[in-house]
Amino acid sequence: MASPIWLIILPLITAFGLGIVKIFSKKLLKPFLALSATIHLILVIDVVIRAFEEPMIYSLGGWDRLFAINLVIDPLAAIMALLISVISYLVVIYSLSFIKEDKSKYRVPKYFLLLFLLIAGMLGMVLTGDLFNLYVFFEIAAITSYALVLIYKRDGSLEGTFKYLLAGTLSGVFILVAILLVYLSTGTLNMARIAVKFAEVPGQLKSIILILFLTGFGIKFALVPLHTWMPDVYPEAPAPYNAISSGVGIKASLYAFIRVIYVLFGFDFIANTELTSLLVVWGVITFMVAHLMAYQQKNLKRLFAFSSIAQVGYIIIAVSLATDKGLIAGGFHIVNHALMKGAIFLALGIFIYYFKAETIEDIKGLGRSLPLTSFTFTLAALAMIGLPPFNGFLSKWLIIEAALESGYTVAAFFIPVGSLLSLVYYLRVLQSLYSSGEPKPRVDFKRPRLSLELPAVILGFSCLLLGIFPRLPLDMLGQISHYLLDSSNYINLLLGG
Amino acid sequence: MRKLYCLILAILLASMFFMAFSGLQEVDMELSNFYLETGVEETGAINMVTAILFDYRGFDTLGEATVIFAAATIISFLLPKKQTTMLKDDFSLLVHKSIKSVIPIVFILGVYLVVFGHLSPGGGFTGGVILAVIAILWTVVFDLEYSESKLSYSTKSLIEDLGALAFVIIGLFGMIAGSTFLASGQAGFYLGTPGEILSGGAIPYLNMAVGAKVGAGLAIIFNSLIKGE
Repeated sequence: MASPIWLIILPLITAFGLGIVKIFSKKLLKPFLALSATIHLILVIDVVIRAFEEPMIYSLGGWDRLFAINLVIDPLAAIMALLISVISYLVVIYSLSFIKEDKSKYRVPKYFLLLFLLIAGMLGMVLTGDLFNLYVFFEIAAITSYALVLIYKRDGSLEGTFKYLLAGTLSGVFILVAILLVYLSTGTLNMARIAVKFAEVPGQLKSIILILFLTGFGIKFALVPLHTWMPDVYPEAPAPYNAISSGVGIKASLYAFIRVIYVLFGFDFIANTELTSLLVVWGVITFMVAHLMAYQQKNLKRLFAFSSIAQVGYIIIAVSLATDKGLIAGGFHIVNHALMKGAIFLALGIFIYYFKAETIEDIKGLGRSLPLTSFTFTLAALAMIGLPPFNGFLSKWLIIEAALESGYTVAAFFIPVGSLLSLVYYLRVLQSLYSSGEPKPRVDFKRPRLSLELPAVILGFSCLLLGIFPRLPLDMLGQISHYLLDSSNYINLLLGG
Repeated sequence: MRKLYCLILAILLASMFFMAFSGLQEVDMELSNFYLETGVEETGAINMVTAILFDYRGFDTLGEATVIFAAATIISFLLPKKQTTMLKDDFSLLVHKSIKSVIPIVFILGVYLVVFGHLSPGGGFTGGVILAVIAILWTVVFDLEYSESKLSYSTKSLIEDLGALAFVIIGLFGMIAGSTFLASGQAGFYLGTPGEILSGGAIPYLNMAVGAKVGAGLAIIFNSLIKGE
């Protein structure tokens, strides 16, 4: 019976304790990290199971719910927390082998310190029910991300990271000003109290706050044209960071945006304004531009960065429909994309680790040298395209259905067009992977290490599993709209009726 | 042309912010009113800023302190490890001696601000900055080697880790006492008479943890930034 606060403070304790463990023994470092990550995963599963029986509220400092910082674990938060911790766990295990020590002997401890802070930051963003607390964890996640990209200290990564830093800071400022305006116009930071008082806020101010939140979070989850940092940052970053950032990092910002529009602004605001059509059109533009850009890429990580942007486009269409079906479809695509992109980046990391294969040309012939990794990669790529029987097919199908139901026929038409485009460039990658070539391993190797291959394989096969047995995730996702579409449910949950 | 675009963008943003802030109406600030009305009684701290930072919104403070922790880690890791060239020891003996005699006073001031954070203006963050000034003075007036020999990077890093851990552990005491994380008065901790040094429940100890962490963190940041190629 762990209390939900452990989900956030265990990674923090691990990060703070790393320096002390290192003094005692350098050999203890990796077992310590693996142990902490395992305990964390178990705690998350325990909390999530209980949260599905009954949503949980945890008031920090023992204060009254009205004035405390609360953790609110409703079904959507629980699903996101589970997703973040599963991906993070696999990424931590993968990184234990993937990240190699540099001359100064600082890289490994610092990398894990920042990784655990990033995990704490993302979980904090997802679990909190307080607007300013959301910003604090948003900053932790942002700052650690900038540094994780630079962990190899390559010259090439500096330019991209600087761009990322500027974009990220701009996004932070926008969100901070939006939170400031919300606080000044409602007098509170508790999300449920804000939702109650937000109805009295004048319309013009509301739209300005919405613009600030949309631009601020939009930079982070890479809506075209706010996406430009992502393709520049991904190629130089370590593969496990790519997996965690594309899989769950940008989703945490997306989650925060969903929370803000549904709880603060509420269903009525979305229904009475043109927000849905704006976001649907924006989503279509996002995925079309991103697919067309991805088509031109030679560097694989750049290609997958554009592919991630495209998937965000699909998700934003689904969640902005403000229907039960749309939210389920969007949520399912969030889960699926995290698994698929996680598998793809972790498999790509193995290609890079053993063969330094970074472009489409480089991976020629790897299908024979790394059969299992390549198979995993193929599974995830087919799921990305949206072919049956994979999970990507199901969630895209659900998004099309939801869009048609709400009358967005043109958007629904463009989704298969986008999938067709992605078919073209993913097949090019797969063709290169299985064509003949003579890859040169960096060191002589027989087969990839299990700790590298296993996380990728787990994620890859879960794409197939979720595609064949979608009942469980869809049942779980079926509960999320209760607290989103009717914000009074959320208010009653948090303020206790 | 590019400058023109930037100008238009800046004007648009400025007018949006102007519209937003001029459209604000007087509302009942229920959160801050609650803090002001019940603060002294429920937290035992007579410095309201500290009461909010370390009791009502202690979790935010943990997050903010983590941001500084991350920043210090990142800067010390990313910046070059080569020795300083820009700062040379060219102060006279007079300066060296007087700074050496000033440092204990600075130390006392820093510790005072930290320990009396719940009674007078100051607190862990402010006091920590003053404590970091000691390491900065060593670096500026003497040189980096002297500063590092007095308090090496690994020692500062250890102090920072311990400060951060202490914050979390003090928070856990609230859970052990049967309340929730970071609870102090609400967990039944001894609040004392407001205005006395032993009051405010967990607040003074949280202040000390943050003071140690911020002081060490800022000293690491300064000494890392001062290194040249």
